[in-house]
Amino acid sequence: MSEADRVPVVADGEWTDDVEEEEGVVVNWFAKPGRRVAAGESLCEIQVEKVSIDVPAPVDGELVEIVRDEDDEFTIGDTLAWIESEG
Amino acid sequence: MTVDRELTMSRAVVEAIGAEMRENEEVFYMGEDVADYGGIFDSTQGLLAEFGYDRIMDVPISETAYLGAAVGAAQQGMRPIAELMFVDFFGVAMDQIYNQMAKNTYMSGGAVSVPMVLTTAVGGTYSDAAQHSQALYGTFAHLPGMKVVVPSTAYDAKGLMHNAIRDDDPVVYMYHKRLMGLGWLPAPPGPKTPVPEEDYTIPFGKADVKREGADATVVTLGLHVHRALDAAASLAEDGIDTEVIDLRTLVPLDRETVIESVHKTGRLVVVDEDYRSFGLTGEVVSSVADEALDALEAVERVAMPDVPIPYARELETEVMPAAADIEAAVRNVQ
Repeated sequence: MSEADRVPVVADGEWTDDVEEEEGVVVNWFAKPGRRVAAGESLCEIQVEKVSIDVPAPVDGELVEIVRDEDDEFTIGDTLAWIESEG
Repeated sequence: MTVDRELTMSRAVVEAIGAEMRENEEVFYMGEDVADYGGIFDSTQGLLAEFGYDRIMDVPISETAYLGAAVGAAQQGMRPIAELMFVDFFGVAMDQIYNQMAKNTYMSGGAVSVPMVLTTAVGGTYSDAAQHSQALYGTFAHLPGMKVVVPSTAYDAKGLMHNAIRDDDPVVYMYHKRLMGLGWLPAPPGPKTPVPEEDYTIPFGKADVKREGADATVVTLGLHVHRALDAAASLAEDGIDTEVIDLRTLVPLDRETVIESVHKTGRLVVVDEDYRSFGLTGEVVSSVADEALDALEAVERVAMPDVPIPYARELETEVMPAAADIEAAVRNVQ
């Protein structure tokens, strides 16, 4: 499978209406690498400025790599994981 | 079958409630801050969007009123789940709980049943002081007429919740705040487990042997299952082989599994986050003494001392049974 099929799960900051902070922490992962995930499924829960936010899978596919583990910090724009997309 | 996803305990509870609500329109949830807020311990997170305000219902701050309403709805054939935000608040509605909910089936000569679930958050470890930190397992288990459930993992929490909602008797479902997996109150390793997506039930009255061992039996529940497993791992380094039993339900209580284990190990340590006197530790020890006194070589109890739980972190940590306390107790009975 080519690199192009790998889709990043990005902490994209789309939630920032009420949240000004640029950095957060990963609280819980719900999917393990190897899981077939559906677009929209909650992959993990992150916390930014005391607000808990679920990060959904952007596409259908297989979760192949977790880049930011539980308790790891991230900055908006960071890749949290990679999905190999279907089709 | 391998399960390639893990859930926190709160999400496992919510998944079971959502599935039962989809299956049976008589199931509804009410409590303080359970609708818009999703439960202060995430016990109803996301359910409002699917089920709306008629079935995920915020209530005024009167436990007497809404627990009484739940009892009435249950007697009329609905299956309410009513949340007591903190177990410590039971006092203001104790008549609804132990005279109405627990006894109406019997007082009516079986003319009505009360198929409701009373969910409630228990436990300390986060400096919430004497009125918001109690476990109170013994208080509820002591009073006849209610089943009492205390899950320690996400897997058990889901299966036990399915069973609780389907049960025709009142069930008190006590979830430990420290195990729910909240961002602001992180869980220790252990409660987040693989959880199958399909429905399944876990029967009441079946303890789970979390770790097998020949040298001592540790009986506990809730948060302290994980502390006991930590203690057992540490003891194993010194060649002490500890069996850890998670009771999972207090009513009914699986005395058989405990007694069978004591026949094997001869040594019993009972660990409880609830108060030491008149509680679970005494009950388990005396149950074993009733049935298997000959097998019992040594006994230790590890429990909250009979004091209001302190606010100060250092003092709360001092009174709260720790893994090190369990380890010391197991060494004492060797």
